[in-house]
Amino acid sequence: MGELKERVSETVKEKVYESEVSPGLKTYILPRRNFSKKFAVFSTRFGSIDSSFEVDGHRLDVPDGVAHFLEHKLFESENDNAFDRFAELGASSNAFTSFTQTSYLFSCTENFEDSLELLLNFVQEPYFSEETVEKEKGIIEQEIRMYEDHPQWRIFFSMLESLYQYHPVRKDIAGTVDSIHRITPEILYQCYRTFYHPCNMALFVVGDVSAEEVLTQVKNNLGSREFPEWKGIKRIYPQEPPQVNRRRVEHSMVVSEPILGIGFKDVLPGFLEGEALLRREIVTELLLEIIFGNSEPLFNHLYEEGLIDEGFDAGYTVETNHAYTFLGGETRDAELLYQKIMEGIRGLKEKGITFEQLERHRRKMLGEFMRRFNSLEFVANNFLSYRFKNADFFAFPRLLQEITLQEINERLEEHLDPDLHAVSVILPGRE
Amino acid sequence: MGQSTVKNLPNGIRFCYLPADKFKTITINVFIHQDLREELASQTALLPSLLERGTWKYPDSLSLRREMENLYGAELSTDVGKKGERHLMVISLELVRPDLLPEGDILRGGLNLLRSVLCEPLVENGGFPASYVEQEKEQLSKEIRGLINEKTTYSIERCVQEMCRGERFEVYKYGDLENLKKTDPAGLYTYYREVISSNPIDVYMVGPESVPGAGAMLEEVLDFPREEKPREIEETRVYVRKDREVLFKEEVLPVNQAKLVLGYRTNVDYSHPLYYPLLFFNGVLGGFPHSKLFQNVREKASLAYFVFSRLEKHKGIMIVTAGIDYQQYKRTLDLMQKQVKAVADGEITGTEMENTRRGLLNQLSVQKDSPSQLISFYLDSHMGGRDHTFEEVMQKLQQVTREEVVEVARRVELDTVYLLRGEKGE
Repeated sequence: MGELKERVSETVKEKVYESEVSPGLKTYILPRRNFSKKFAVFSTRFGSIDSSFEVDGHRLDVPDGVAHFLEHKLFESENDNAFDRFAELGASSNAFTSFTQTSYLFSCTENFEDSLELLLNFVQEPYFSEETVEKEKGIIEQEIRMYEDHPQWRIFFSMLESLYQYHPVRKDIAGTVDSIHRITPEILYQCYRTFYHPCNMALFVVGDVSAEEVLTQVKNNLGSREFPEWKGIKRIYPQEPPQVNRRRVEHSMVVSEPILGIGFKDVLPGFLEGEALLRREIVTELLLEIIFGNSEPLFNHLYEEGLIDEGFDAGYTVETNHAYTFLGGETRDAELLYQKIMEGIRGLKEKGITFEQLERHRRKMLGEFMRRFNSLEFVANNFLSYRFKNADFFAFPRLLQEITLQEINERLEEHLDPDLHAVSVILPGRE
Repeated sequence: MGQSTVKNLPNGIRFCYLPADKFKTITINVFIHQDLREELASQTALLPSLLERGTWKYPDSLSLRREMENLYGAELSTDVGKKGERHLMVISLELVRPDLLPEGDILRGGLNLLRSVLCEPLVENGGFPASYVEQEKEQLSKEIRGLINEKTTYSIERCVQEMCRGERFEVYKYGDLENLKKTDPAGLYTYYREVISSNPIDVYMVGPESVPGAGAMLEEVLDFPREEKPREIEETRVYVRKDREVLFKEEVLPVNQAKLVLGYRTNVDYSHPLYYPLLFFNGVLGGFPHSKLFQNVREKASLAYFVFSRLEKHKGIMIVTAGIDYQQYKRTLDLMQKQVKAVADGEITGTEMENTRRGLLNQLSVQKDSPSQLISFYLDSHMGGRDHTFEEVMQKLQQVTREEVVEVARRVELDTVYLLRGEKGE
């Protein structure tokens, strides 16, 4: 079949077949022999940060949390519910919304073809009514309340609110109890028409499947539908200044220990995508591992002082128009830990990173990348989210090998700028 | 997947090899069994983390973790688990498949690391190093106090504690602060010697057949002197009669969402003939999105975002829980109990029965796709005294009837209702 292109990873010995199904759905298939599970994920580039965009030349501002709300409601059709129909097929289905995308997925061991058909159908056939939209508000309100009591979630969003002045990444993915009450079926339909065009979507299938058969099925499914002409999406994001919104904030809630979160804003050189984005991510992750990893002196000093536990973590997130480092954990003394971390960063900036450190962490990161290929979900979700940033997940090992000591030392110099950091603390107590 | 093989090594360690070529890894889990007892729990919880702190060869965390990194990110980790009234110390190692790497000799290195952590801990003055003990005690105490941070887990644990007062099952898997305080470096080392030489140990390995000799190499590593016959672990007590009404327990904390938890005694455990019907009962009631709880409490009444039921299979306990608005507490409680009663009254549609069957079969099959779940399947099965294969379990699930599910539902008794709620809205 000539339309299937191959993308091979020599590192993990896997092959992805890819094709574009008319009118523009990027379709990826990764056969994994001997797995019982088959997994498919159908995603659109529509996330919580897409709350302002143009429709027919007019700007539309929708309530916060609309992408997530739509995700909840898309399972419903006029007469039944896709959840129930997956259950009848013995498949397990779910969906999730992030800052930048919405994904619908299922896994099954039987009835794969019917399950895939159901996934393609329910995502492409919206049905929203006043009654069902109203009913969902109670459910999502409880989802928001649940997260409000979740310390890790709270510190993460309080950090984002501190780092960003205007960018919508500072807002909760599910919106607020107030904003979701402003959502109507009309708004959901407007968003659906804007973001759920095949040209803005992608499909990933993994498991013991035939690439040709899957592709034929997807073609037949889309071939039976009519789509409006694709004109692209004009997404509108506010101008975000480099400066952080606030330096420090404290909250209280029911926790056993204080929690410290530190965010570093990373100012991107304009719109970022493709290999440049992936490379920046790898260099920065390597850097954070070398500074904060549990095989390094800083971590061990803090651990022995009882200032951190094994849950202490540092990670970097980069999207096309925003990026940040977030680190922290539970601690007996948030102020002392903060001082020691900032000192540690300063110290390493003076000393620089050694070749031995780079090589050790490079090996570790390569091994982790390989081990995680045990999980079909991990591969599918990552591959798609990188495709949406025009990057190739399979390029990860090659880029990892390419990183030089000079590159990482330059990144150390430039990133983790004290002027661009913000601190949030959760203290044990009453709200 | 090839045939699993089980053998008892000369020193009494039970070794199970599960060949599978589809994974990118070799996974080894070591389980050391211990009775779940209040006076032992804190020591049991502390031991694995002490083993991870230093060995003769790798005397501190830095050297140990650097060795792991050089082995292409070998993941060596420790934890404790609780299955029924049995406490498990778990030491696990995950390695990238050596045949995928440019330099293939990481298996030997990985196994030596495991041996080192398991059998060659760093000893000073007849005990674990005092500073390590102090630090790990502080970390464990943080873990124990930290239960309250995640409110759903906390509420379920609290419900179980109230429900099982006086039974061994009330003991938290990380133990308690008072018993933790009593531990000391020498006592802990004596305890370690005792446990490693006389408690039952199960070792599971999942790895490709294409790495020849891996099993034999692991056997070599596990060949250390032990008592001839491992000591017996006490059985879990499943049938508990208590002379009391349903227990109601309420706790008030400044939280935004109330958590309602119902603790039931199913009076059926892993080894019971009605075990498979019990899985159906839980599935029809609250194990899936098609279940009665999700359909009625969430979809129809919009009372909750999460609502589910879950089994503790070795103790025969079922937990039903939801995160709700406190104002809706009575309504939710009523609706939950109605669903349990409906099953007992035989209100199970053919669709509910068959959806549950397909769902359970699917859950079973996908366990084969993850090394840790694969191990967990065999361990549960062994502990439950069945040693069933996947095919046998599949057959059992195919045979369960509606009548059997109703029979299980009739045995199930509500024991405890626990509510965590905010201060507002009284």
